[in-house]
Amino acid sequence: MNRRELLGGTLALAGVSLAGCAGLVETRTAGVPPVLENRPDGVYYPSHVEGMSAVGTQTSGDYAVGLFYSYPHRFWNVNGDSVSLTEIDSDDAVHLMASVWDPETGTVLPETGLSLEIVQDGSLVSQETIYPMLSQPMGFHYGANFGLDGDGTYTVRVSVGAVATRKTGAFADRFTDPQTVEFPFEYSEAAKNDISFEQVDERAGTPGAVEPMEMDALPDATAPAPDALPGRSLGAAMSNDARLVATVLDSPPEGVDGEGPYLAVSARTRYNRMVIPAMGLSGRLSRDDETVFEGELARTLDPTLGYHYGAVVDDVQPGDGLTLSVDVQPQTARHEGYETAFGGLLGGMPDVTMQVP
Amino acid sequence: MRLPDVSRREALRTAVALGSASALSACLDRESSEPVPTGDPDAKPARQHAWRAHVRHDDHGNTQLPRHQILLYLTLDGDGPPSATARDALAATLDALDSAYAWSHEGLLHSIAYSPAYFDRFDDSLPEDIDLPEPTALSPFESPTFDRQDAVLHLASDRSDALLEADRALRGEREKANGVSIPPLTDALYVDSRRTGFVGAGLPAQHQDAAGIPESRPVPEASPLFMGFEAGFRQNQATEDYVTLESGAFAGGTTKVIANLRQRLDDWYDEQTQEERVMEMFSPGHAAEGLVEGIGDNLGDDSQIDRFVDDIADHAAEYGRVGHAQKAARANRDDDGTVRLLRRHFESTDDIGSDQQVASLHFPSLQRRVSAFESVRRAMNGTDVTEQTPAVRQRVNNGILEYIFVRRRGYFLVPPRRHRVFPTPRPE
Repeated sequence: MNRRELLGGTLALAGVSLAGCAGLVETRTAGVPPVLENRPDGVYYPSHVEGMSAVGTQTSGDYAVGLFYSYPHRFWNVNGDSVSLTEIDSDDAVHLMASVWDPETGTVLPETGLSLEIVQDGSLVSQETIYPMLSQPMGFHYGANFGLDGDGTYTVRVSVGAVATRKTGAFADRFTDPQTVEFPFEYSEAAKNDISFEQVDERAGTPGAVEPMEMDALPDATAPAPDALPGRSLGAAMSNDARLVATVLDSPPEGVDGEGPYLAVSARTRYNRMVIPAMGLSGRLSRDDETVFEGELARTLDPTLGYHYGAVVDDVQPGDGLTLSVDVQPQTARHEGYETAFGGLLGGMPDVTMQVP
Repeated sequence: MRLPDVSRREALRTAVALGSASALSACLDRESSEPVPTGDPDAKPARQHAWRAHVRHDDHGNTQLPRHQILLYLTLDGDGPPSATARDALAATLDALDSAYAWSHEGLLHSIAYSPAYFDRFDDSLPEDIDLPEPTALSPFESPTFDRQDAVLHLASDRSDALLEADRALRGEREKANGVSIPPLTDALYVDSRRTGFVGAGLPAQHQDAAGIPESRPVPEASPLFMGFEAGFRQNQATEDYVTLESGAFAGGTTKVIANLRQRLDDWYDEQTQEERVMEMFSPGHAAEGLVEGIGDNLGDDSQIDRFVDDIADHAAEYGRVGHAQKAARANRDDDGTVRLLRRHFESTDDIGSDQQVASLHFPSLQRRVSAFESVRRAMNGTDVTEQTPAVRQRVNNGILEYIFVRRRGYFLVPPRRHRVFPTPRPE
């Protein structure tokens, strides 16, 4: 793709492979567009899409880590019910993004905890615990803006913590030890300014999402397609553009206490099927006006179900009503286009109900 | 009241931080008019860790640790037990130090402690009842370097000139300290790592140019520590008696854990309100009830943390945050409710391995058994809380874990004074 194609295109850029990014020359001179007014209460096309450049990929122990950078971003931080805008600071040079996945299965790992240390010539430049984030092109990742001391060679050490959620099946005994991987990072402002920066056309501010980036180095952070989930499908419902897909297994995956059917809910974004982690989710099963199950659906990482929310129940029968309630909205920061959805800026996530077929 | 000779004091502080020979000479000249009290070797307490009766206390009876401190990490040559020559040399050094300085904050407090690696030099092992494992990682996200040197000598004084003079004499850079000839430590051991620090009102504020503290210069002048609060309230600390080994060959000794943490306080100060800092340092209950004014001196001799340890799950659900002290206190009480750890942490601008000035914390903790420290440190991880709500994450909204990065940890046995010179694992 060359500059002509880029300028003539609309959102094609967001779907370009990483390897192709280097030659793109839409430099950012006009600054970041303002946050759109009249944003819908849900996933929407952002005003602009920034590409990103790969720093590298490293594997250590149970973790593969990909490190990427882009222009400093504004994003919205989520703490409990509060959602607050983090503006770009004048000292920020880059937005660094790290993605962590299982090198064996390619499963992207939310809720590992991640910190990042930047050094140059033996001197500390920065060290931060960085926040989990959701973006339309990348899905779940960890990210933060960092200042740098100008062009030069840096070393970035990424420390990955143990996965904090329940783990099941072949994952039960994995992702328990922290690992640190180190990346050489050659930074130049000129190279950064070659990273694509695309204003979105008239679709900006309307419901929808830009396409996920396809990068050879980075597995998708998507949830399994509904028909790829194991068990008996109970249906799906949308809560503030989080699609909650429910299934029931005859027995719980290894690593879950209890006997009986296992109710699992996989949450994904409406358009890109990106995993939505770190919610507090509870469920209620009712039958003939009686509640037969009510309780927390625990955050769980399973090789087949993926990241999901699950609980052992007594039984699930056709005609049962299943109500899902989001008690804590997804505790991930949001890139633009996701900040009003999933309970974000404009209110909560309504309960959803489905009838068991 | 502000002392008139601020520039001299600042010169001294800088000198301890840098350990620079030229700065030291300068401060020795300037401080010479105030004599440092000399010591009587026969007047030293039997416990090396007997410090409380010999330092200042605040109006509430809280211990005020000596304002300037140095840790010398020491290593023996070879693999075997120390030689008789090394033993005589170390005895002579420590005896001379006892003569040179009064056992007080105006003179010099010191203690030497030995690592599991040191005791491994002997065929015998430590008695069963000595709980001194090799250091280990204590959180699901840290990967510290372990300090496995043979010994650590801890020096502390309110007088930076006394401290620096002792330090230099011990390292063989001068012959005498406080007028007494000191055979250098280096006759027996070599100094693998020298770490310095400070604690007490004024000093953190004066060192806040270090990396890790935001440019807004937020550290209050009154704060004894970088994070802006008092710590180590008397009722929330173990007593020296409690942490002392009661029986066996090492009776009168204790165990000592020393960690070094890097502090990254940009978000602590610039992203959070004072109320949020109170929530994360103490507990959300402290914020809700307005218990902490400023740096928390109004708490007197008790942080009141015991009132809130059972509220952690409720606080996590209601506030999406839990407090550092609240989590740790859960494991820091014995069956009778008595506090198990005696924490003696102090600040630093050391960045071990570089010459950069970076905010950090040296964290010595005394306890009868190292496993007590380990359980308190693990309780501080709040792993159980992260399972209860996604709002409290591995290191975010989870006490102060977001802002501290453990870099070093070592475990040591502080023998009683009678066995302080190269003890065998089974001293008689």
